[in-house]
Amino acid sequence: MQWKTIFMKELLEDWRSYKWIWVPLVFILFCIMDPLSTYYLPQIIQAVGGLPDGAVIDIPETEPEMAIMMSLTQMSMLGVLVVIAITMGVIAGERKSGVAELILVKPVRYVTYILAKWSAKLLLVFVSYLVGMLASWYYVNLLFGEITIIEFFSLFLFYFVWLIFVVTLTVFYNTMMKVPGLVLTSTVITIMAMSVLNQIFSFRLPWLPNSISEHITTMLTEGSIPNELWMASAITLGLSLILLLFSRYIFQTKEMAE
Amino acid sequence: MQDFTNGSIEDLVEFLPIIAPLILIQLILMIIAIISLIKADDTNGPKPIWAVIIVFLTFIGPILYFIVGRRQS
Repeated sequence: MQWKTIFMKELLEDWRSYKWIWVPLVFILFCIMDPLSTYYLPQIIQAVGGLPDGAVIDIPETEPEMAIMMSLTQMSMLGVLVVIAITMGVIAGERKSGVAELILVKPVRYVTYILAKWSAKLLLVFVSYLVGMLASWYYVNLLFGEITIIEFFSLFLFYFVWLIFVVTLTVFYNTMMKVPGLVLTSTVITIMAMSVLNQIFSFRLPWLPNSISEHITTMLTEGSIPNELWMASAITLGLSLILLLFSRYIFQTKEMAE
Repeated sequence: MQDFTNGSIEDLVEFLPIIAPLILIQLILMIIAIISLIKADDTNGPKPIWAVIIVFLTFIGPILYFIVGRRQS
């Protein structure tokens, strides 16, 4: 019951700050940008002045699988940054402005508070990401060739596991720090460090969270879900759960101390 | 010279399907950013400058405003 109240309040707040409009639009933009510009590359070159006479460049045919992976690549750079930016103040901002105290003097459990905030942001990210990827799917089917429903939803859901982790990590830093900018910086640094670790150890440990998108590429080219993808997803979800438990603990001790 | 003019008109027709959705997204983003800017009591930085950024920086302007410019009330 309390969970629902805080959850609804959070959704309402995101609506009032126009997040429910601009985040889906921006995700559509990120997702369709690369497939579109790849398809229209010859015309774009022509329009910006064309090539000198006699110059020939062969633009290789792009497979539909590669085209839709371009959307995921954009999502994992710009998309993730936007996800962190909209989540960075979710708890930190309220603690800074004192709203969190107002809520927590009432008999609201810390877990309820964190979970409600976390799920509200996750819903926003899910819907925006779904809208963006559907737009990309539409264009890829139109311009490059067919991606089946099953292929689409498996790549969509497996990649969403990574986004769940990003949201959870941001919420985790939210419970540690009061300044949204610091939350942003810490989350970005952590993700970058994890990506370095992944590059170093991906040969030995092929199931680190950052490797999910590589495995999705393998899945699309081979047509079956590799075991590493299941493992990486399970580990990513497990890590998210642990982070949530830690967030609750840290948040409680921090709030008690004040 | 004539080739060039013909080419650019054809280009325009060819570009329309890609440009149309992008223009629509940019328009909606710009309009809601401006509405939000007008309604906001306080922003990080002067309002007129944000208005210029939103209108003239395609895509990036509205996004920047939503992430950095809005101040939580």
